Amino acid sequence: MDTQTPLPETHVVRGITLNKDLTVRPALIDQSDTMAKLFQRRCAELGKRTAHREKDLGIWKSYSWADFWTAAQRIGAAFHALGLERGQVISVLSEDSKEWAYLDMGIQGIGGICSGVYTTDSADQLAYLLQDSESPFVVVENDEQLDKFLAIRGDVPLIKKVIVIDPEGLHDLDDPQIMFLDDLYDLGQKTLDQSPSVFSDAIRAGTPEEIGLLIYTSGTTGKPKGAMLSNENVIAATALQGANIPTLRSDEQLCFLPLSHVFERSISIFGSIAAGSTVNFAESPETVFDDLREVSPHTFSAVPRVWEKIYSAVLILSKEATPLGRWAFGQAIKAGMHNAELTFAGKPVGLASRIRFGFWDRLVLRNLRRMLGLDRIRRAISAAAPVSPELLKWFSAIGVPVYEGYGMTENTAVCSINTQENTVLGSVGQAVAGTQIRISDVGEIETNGLTTFPGYWKNPEKTAETFAEDGWLRTGDVGELDDNGFLRITGRIKDIIITAGGKNITPAEIESGLKFSQYISDAVVIGDQRKYLTVLIMIDQENVEKFAQEHKVPFSDFASLCAAPEVTDLIEAEVTRVNKSFARVEQIKKFRLIDVLLTAEDDELTSTMKLKRGLVEKKYKALIDQMYT
Amino acid sequence: MSDEILLKIRNVESYYGPIMAIRGVSLDVRKGSIVTVLGANGAGKTTLMKTVSGVMEPEKGTITFEGEELQKTEPHKIVERGIVHVPEGREVFPLLSVNENLTLGGFTRSDKAEIERDREMVFSYFPILKERRNQEAGFLSGGQQQMLAIGRGLMARPKIMLLDEPSLGLSPLLVQEIFGILKRLNEEQQVTMMLVEQNAKVALDLAHHGYVMEIGRIVMQGEADKLIESEDIQNFYLGVQEEGQREERRWKRKKTWR
Repeated sequence: MDTQTPLPETHVVRGITLNKDLTVRPALIDQSDTMAKLFQRRCAELGKRTAHREKDLGIWKSYSWADFWTAAQRIGAAFHALGLERGQVISVLSEDSKEWAYLDMGIQGIGGICSGVYTTDSADQLAYLLQDSESPFVVVENDEQLDKFLAIRGDVPLIKKVIVIDPEGLHDLDDPQIMFLDDLYDLGQKTLDQSPSVFSDAIRAGTPEEIGLLIYTSGTTGKPKGAMLSNENVIAATALQGANIPTLRSDEQLCFLPLSHVFERSISIFGSIAAGSTVNFAESPETVFDDLREVSPHTFSAVPRVWEKIYSAVLILSKEATPLGRWAFGQAIKAGMHNAELTFAGKPVGLASRIRFGFWDRLVLRNLRRMLGLDRIRRAISAAAPVSPELLKWFSAIGVPVYEGYGMTENTAVCSINTQENTVLGSVGQAVAGTQIRISDVGEIETNGLTTFPGYWKNPEKTAETFAEDGWLRTGDVGELDDNGFLRITGRIKDIIITAGGKNITPAEIESGLKFSQYISDAVVIGDQRKYLTVLIMIDQENVEKFAQEHKVPFSDFASLCAAPEVTDLIEAEVTRVNKSFARVEQIKKFRLIDVLLTAEDDELTSTMKLKRGLVEKKYKALIDQMYT
Repeated sequence: MSDEILLKIRNVESYYGPIMAIRGVSLDVRKGSIVTVLGANGAGKTTLMKTVSGVMEPEKGTITFEGEELQKTEPHKIVERGIVHVPEGREVFPLLSVNENLTLGGFTRSDKAEIERDREMVFSYFPILKERRNQEAGFLSGGQQQMLAIGRGLMARPKIMLLDEPSLGLSPLLVQEIFGILKRLNEEQQVTMMLVEQNAKVALDLAHHGYVMEIGRIVMQGEADKLIESEDIQNFYLGVQEEGQREERRWKRKKTWR
């Protein structure tokens, strides 16, 4: 670090030294101005303490910070030996695993840029990402992901080496371009034997301005754009986390959302390095709820879809309970809801209510939380997509307060959040200390802070579009700030529907109202340049099947389930319910169900299982046209 | 094949103790048609058959046969209604002769002359059984035992035959022979059939309509010739390998059932 600049004033928050003023340069955490430096420091400090756990053949195994350092150092040294230059990109295509973390820190440490690719991306999407990022190296998880690369290897001539993490099923493979992670470790160790300080030197050479991450945003329209995040962005964002939503060294976390996404990355890798907490990697995306129960984390951050799933799982469970159990559960929820409503309204909860809640909490809710794996939770967060306030109220009622936050890749995922002390239901909270928020003349949310990204990778046009004249970040979201600084998001600026009548409508509010229904998994409101609003609905298979069984509605496959008149009536009732809370012009006149069971591999869904508006509108044009004839 | 629906299954759920083996299945069998139910081991196919034939009672749902509900009916009453179950693994009476086995198949009937005519009909479809009519059934080969099991089923003059994996443990040639006979029985005698199979190829060639079951649910249905075109069916049931990047491919694409 440049010793000439005067160091900013610092203070210690939960054992971590942070700048008192989070808007001044240099952004520092424990005197480190890059994540790699902080990582080196933590590993030295914490040594044998457990850094993370991963399930191996059904058993949770612990790995220490020293292991973390050894692996990352070897990876960094090996890429150095393979000829990686500072500022070059390495793409990582893998599910979450400890190796993901090793690669991330190894690549950043040696001065490379780490870019994640979603495992659900197709071979063509992989080709685009590798070409756009000009990666000389790509790391793939296993044989399945390797095959994606092999399908497009002719299109990516810049790739020098492919590293495969899991060699299972590939032992006979003989290809000079492909090597296994174990070979990479060996190469790294050999390099370190010759020049032991190659990795540490590279870390020391890192500067705040250098780019550490390249994160491709999902791109619901057009090709994905690579958002660059500098070392300063990452440190600043992690410091904001540390100051506003501190994680403790003793905390257990669960890492399960894709690390290619900025949300999980900033919490499970950077947040955990800063705090020295323990990260548990979920075994697979399918086993998340079992992993959750086993880990019982102290902090848990998830997307609304996860919270919705937990909610409907509990609802189903309670329906199958004995009449007495059902009654007790109903009473417990009633007591909880009563308290939650008072709390959210800012009113004091009376002694009688507290006693009543305490009774039901001990009798019912405590068991429920233990069963869900939320019994130790200190802080739960929902972010990355709008969540229904009703859902948050329900979670508060069962004793798991979930706080909604807001952020995006372009401001390194931290922007505003509700906290225990300051919560307004339906808002995404107040700006976190270190970030400023304002609303532009057209209603767009703009943010400012050290977390603002420097721009899109090789895309000066898009970069220019993203910044206001004075350098504030234009988020693309529309929203309002209330008198106390609570931010309310109403939708995406490009999603705004202007009906033929000339009325501006932000569909997100209507959609999240619909999604609160346990029978609706996602919805896309349509109506731009049209006479009235309509909606395409993706039903929740499990819950609707359950409904059909209970009401003796015959169905065989998914299409016939969607076609059943009783199911249509059911969804119509949900639409009518949501319509009640909107003005006439904002009401849904007709709807159709998407009768194909979509999976994350389908183009219509983002990797977080959200429907992509643009694609859905194109693909189901016939269905949409039906609603306007 | 007529449009009349002979067997109508609606939202059936069946349990083995606490385990739900069928989680809400609805399907139709039209008169004179052959319907096949495909699925891996443990998908619930046999349980579905047993539920129809009354060996198991469904927890929920209805089974309607010729317009009458029969989910609470005793198995022998169900046979009298004309539903015959040819169980998995043949299960002929090994110590009784072929002839006696066939006679037992006709236990619900009393008209001697009719029974004899049907016995001749069975022999005409399965000449080998005629040759060995006096042998103990236990001495028959696997294929012949399967033929006997089907023949015994026919002796009840069924309106519908439930066939549980008739191809099990038989050589490809025998499978072809038996399925050829099933086809003729359907065409010439208008026997309606519901066929459970693992051998998707022969089943879809024979059947008019197909359902695919997975862990107790129907995940796909359609005309047999449409199903045979489906990528998922080809990959997971017909052993068609997609063009891969490498010769040895371990992973399979995910099922989508569409």
